[in-house]
Amino acid sequence: MVRPINALVSGLAFAAAAASMQAPASAQTQPAKPAQIVVNASGGAQAAALRKAFFEEYEKRFGVRVVDSSPADLGKLRAMVTTGNIEWAVTELNMEDAVRAQEMGLLEPIDAKIVDRSRFPANLQTRTHIYTRSAYSTVIGYRTDAFPEGKRPKSFADFWNVQAFPGPRSMQNSPIDNLEFALIADGVAPDKLYPIDVDRAFRKLDQIKKNVAVWWTTGAQSAQLLIDKEVVLGTAWNGRYYAAIQQGAPIAIEWNQGGIKESAFVIPKGAKDAHWGQQMLAVMSDAKLQAIYANIVTYPGLNLDATQYTDPKIAPHLPTHPDNLSKQWWQDVNWWVKNGKDVQDRWSRWVIAK
Amino acid sequence: MSVLTGVLGRRAGRHGPALALGILPIAFLLVLFVYPVLRLLLFSVENGSLAHFEKALTDGLYVQVLLATFEIAIVVAVICLLLGYPVAYLLATASPFWAGFGFALLLLPFWTSVLVRTYAWMIILGRNGIFNRTLLELGIVDQPLALLHNTTGVLIGMVHVLLPYMVFPIYSIMKRVDMQLLSAAEGLGASSAQAFRRIYLPLTLPGVFAGMTLVFIISLGFFITPALLGGGRVMMIGVQVERLVRQYLDWSLAAAVAVILLAVALGVAAFFRRVLKGDLTWT
Repeated sequence: MVRPINALVSGLAFAAAAASMQAPASAQTQPAKPAQIVVNASGGAQAAALRKAFFEEYEKRFGVRVVDSSPADLGKLRAMVTTGNIEWAVTELNMEDAVRAQEMGLLEPIDAKIVDRSRFPANLQTRTHIYTRSAYSTVIGYRTDAFPEGKRPKSFADFWNVQAFPGPRSMQNSPIDNLEFALIADGVAPDKLYPIDVDRAFRKLDQIKKNVAVWWTTGAQSAQLLIDKEVVLGTAWNGRYYAAIQQGAPIAIEWNQGGIKESAFVIPKGAKDAHWGQQMLAVMSDAKLQAIYANIVTYPGLNLDATQYTDPKIAPHLPTHPDNLSKQWWQDVNWWVKNGKDVQDRWSRWVIAK
Repeated sequence: MSVLTGVLGRRAGRHGPALALGILPIAFLLVLFVYPVLRLLLFSVENGSLAHFEKALTDGLYVQVLLATFEIAIVVAVICLLLGYPVAYLLATASPFWAGFGFALLLLPFWTSVLVRTYAWMIILGRNGIFNRTLLELGIVDQPLALLHNTTGVLIGMVHVLLPYMVFPIYSIMKRVDMQLLSAAEGLGASSAQAFRRIYLPLTLPGVFAGMTLVFIISLGFFITPALLGGGRVMMIGVQVERLVRQYLDWSLAAAVAVILLAVALGVAAFFRRVLKGDLTWT
């Protein structure tokens, strides 16, 4: 028995929802609107870009305030899900953590009825619990005043060649990427990196160790080291170097042999605002909004239509630009999920050894 | 506190109001301190097994990092003492104006975020930092000094953050020392060095122990400063615990390491209390 007034209200709601979302709305009534949802991500400059590209639009579309928090934290996600006290509607995670979280049953499935990934690369559409928000790359960066035109490092063989390319270097204080870089420097083809020959990689790392002045910990630090001329050659996430270049630092990026990987957003299992988290992922899938985001921080969304809206001046700085993509290798996240902890312990021992 | 309870005590019973006043803080400690520590203990002995302690105490990595952490904490506490004791003395004996000025200098950085201060040190101490450029231009050195991305950088950054924790307890004790005792000692023929060693120093030792305990214990948990100023080569146990908790979700091993740290911290606190009570001789 449906009372006319209820039917009218739900009909209106349906019409409003259908009008406001490009994706087809489900026929079921939507869960109650919260006053606000919390979206947890990495923080820093990225937070401002997320707000400008996605949160402002989300607030306009649904009238739900978006509060951001940071940092991405698998430990906190697990604590929230196990205690049932879940603050986040959506959280960012690196891929390794996201895969681990899925294996432990900490994630809600992505609702394909709400989140439209039909214009994403095929391999990303089938991810059941992990939403690929972006791709980023660990790349070589160097001071252009230390390496003038014609004498610039173009590969990890060059990075390891301290005679031809002298000066202190920096790399991330983590085995991830660095083992792959070492193998590439040792002559392994980028499509033959996995499974990683860990012993061989550490032997190669031994050769460069004393020339690495700083093993960096935070993304901000990685670019600052080049800006301060503390090092002349390093590796870091592409957006960090881009931001430094934008500020006028004499730095250049070498995309060749960069390690590209996905970054993920997920919905915590049992989140009370899960539905509104799905809606956030839907907003994040919008090609035009993805382009706004990429124009600010050079981390592209993976909707294939986003490229046509991206500023042509920004496009060559994106890791997914065809010219750049062809030079890089994709990280095998499953290898790291399986071997990460043991390799990390070995890395810690190695890095503090005199 | 005693004045307050005394006033209240006259109004209604002797201990009732004092207890009532204490309920909130006690409940606060039980819920937010005692319970989490017990949970931590339970995590560390998951399934009634001591395997996580065994790993923490036999795995070369954890032992090495624990020892390095204690070493840094001790060195930081000693440097803070050497710098902080004279500072506290100056503050305790200065005129109110200069004491206020000194406290302002001490407290201003204290209210600034540790992360900001750590980045500031990177600008000052770097190869092309302010300090090294000045030295080079003055011709004092011909190669930049390695002050950053090594243990030296970590010690400078940590001492800067922790110095107030040494100065305040020593200062508060020094303020209570009756300076006429020193005059009396000198009147009885003691040199000023003797008067310091036999009168002033013993009287201010409680402040020294309190400061040492505070600085040592806070140092044990340091984390971002060593990671950023140590260039990645200086690893403190906090970094390992964080990684186990956040990345590898091995909360039991993390808890075992944390319990070991807690035990050492309590041990140090107990040691200084015993020294203070005169159970151990100190000359």
